[in-house]
Amino acid sequence: MNKKKTILIRVLAVVVLLVIAAAMMVIGRGHTVYFDNVAMEYEGKTYANPYRVDVYVKEERAAKLKADERGMASWMGANFKMTLEITENKGDEPTTKEFKVKLPQSMDGVIINIPALLADLPEEAYLSEFVQTIVEEPEEEEPSDTETDTPVDDLGTDGFEGLGDI
Amino acid sequence: MKNNTTTQMSFGKKLRRFLSDNPVPIMFIIICAVCIPVSGFSPGYLLNEIMTRMGRNTFLILCLLIPIMAGMGLNFGMTLGAMAGEIGLIFVADWQIYGIPGVVLAMIISIPISIVLGIFCGKVLNMAKGREMITSYIISFFINGVYQLVVLYMMGPIIPIKHSSIRLPRGYGIRNTVSLLNMRQCLDNLMSITIKGVKIPVLTFIIVGVLCLFFVWFKKTKLGQDMRAVGQDMEVARDAGINVERTRIISIVMSTVLAGFGMVIYIQNMGNLPTYTAHSQIGMFCIAALLIGGASVDHASIKNVFLGVILFHLMFIVAPSTGTKITGDSMIGEYFRVFVSYGVITVALTMYETKKRRIKSRAGQQLKADQKGDEADE
Repeated sequence: MNKKKTILIRVLAVVVLLVIAAAMMVIGRGHTVYFDNVAMEYEGKTYANPYRVDVYVKEERAAKLKADERGMASWMGANFKMTLEITENKGDEPTTKEFKVKLPQSMDGVIINIPALLADLPEEAYLSEFVQTIVEEPEEEEPSDTETDTPVDDLGTDGFEGLGDI
Repeated sequence: MKNNTTTQMSFGKKLRRFLSDNPVPIMFIIICAVCIPVSGFSPGYLLNEIMTRMGRNTFLILCLLIPIMAGMGLNFGMTLGAMAGEIGLIFVADWQIYGIPGVVLAMIISIPISIVLGIFCGKVLNMAKGREMITSYIISFFINGVYQLVVLYMMGPIIPIKHSSIRLPRGYGIRNTVSLLNMRQCLDNLMSITIKGVKIPVLTFIIVGVLCLFFVWFKKTKLGQDMRAVGQDMEVARDAGINVERTRIISIVMSTVLAGFGMVIYIQNMGNLPTYTAHSQIGMFCIAALLIGGASVDHASIKNVFLGVILFHLMFIVAPSTGTKITGDSMIGEYFRVFVSYGVITVALTMYETKKRRIKSRAGQQLKADQKGDEADE
């Protein structure tokens, strides 16, 4: 009986930890959101970009976009909120609009096309995945554990550089 | 008059006893008292630095208390937990989990790894009773090799790592440094307050406080009492029906799991993970801090942890600047703080052994005197 209780408590603890881990993966999922102020064509119709768009995320200006410009912000979670301050033409008074966008869990980088979003087009039109272009990098040195040829390490200070600051 | 002399004598004796009982903290208080004015740092700056470092290191140092309670000495094997915490952080960085959820997830990932490593370490230490410290020190080197094998060769081809930003350009292995910018100081900044320019990481201190309360409660539980009994005398504990081996393994597992949590807290404060070096000296620094706080191989308390963190890190902050001011060479200060941390471990361990031998010798002399007295009576 006592053994059964112990096993039950252990299984429960594991289940609770798994549930918390799953919740953290959803709540804490980070995305890099890119905003494109670029004219776009959808189903044969062209949607022109405004003259200037100021993007506010978490009450801070994340980007100031003129035509064909891109800005970005980091966001945690799936429900992305932003406020756009839109100036349609040069000299116009800016109008403010709030938007909520559901970010897909599977995407790290998300591109939001602002003209398509302003035109109330479906999600497939304004939202796309940001795919990083692979840039050839020079081969990084094999990480060494402790050995370097500086005399400092002979006195046992290796690890300090890595720690930076203790 | 006689009374006054007696009081003075007892005060002198008390003072001498106090000095002989706490030579390491006193030595460090003197070093800090000399170095602080020379360094030229303002009290506000020093206080700010101490607060940051207390939040960063205290949890890690607290994890050393349980093995000491169980009579296993200073657990150099805490490095194993630190490695488990780092593996958790690598996964969290790859899965792009930001902020506090990232910290919590890294801690959860570290738990099973810490438990497995803790059980392994505990079992090996049970085979090497009486030589736990040196054994745990060598185990940490061995597991460091396994960690490097996993992180350098298995992460990528066997363990999926998606992001090229943390993978080495050759396609497998993790880069020397993993950026954790999206979780940098997330624990420290949440609920933090600033008083006269001194930032106090309230949430981190609450977590440390909860761990301290846990220790106070844990000492009173049956398992806590068993650990103390095992720590005092293994044979007596075994005769009392305590499963000595199991109790010792549990103490190491608890210490390893807590070290994993502590490492996650430590790294989130730094904001980047030096993949191959972050854990290498962490055990040494934590043990040095605990010993500076007045702890010994067989006795340590929460107050030793706090005093140790303050003194050790105060010395770390002021020593380079003092060295530069005195000698005109900043490297002298760097050398100073390195050899002091190693030196203090040596001194503390030597003093512990000397004290133990002296007590044994006094007990022997007392026994001899008693026997002589008995013979004279007969």
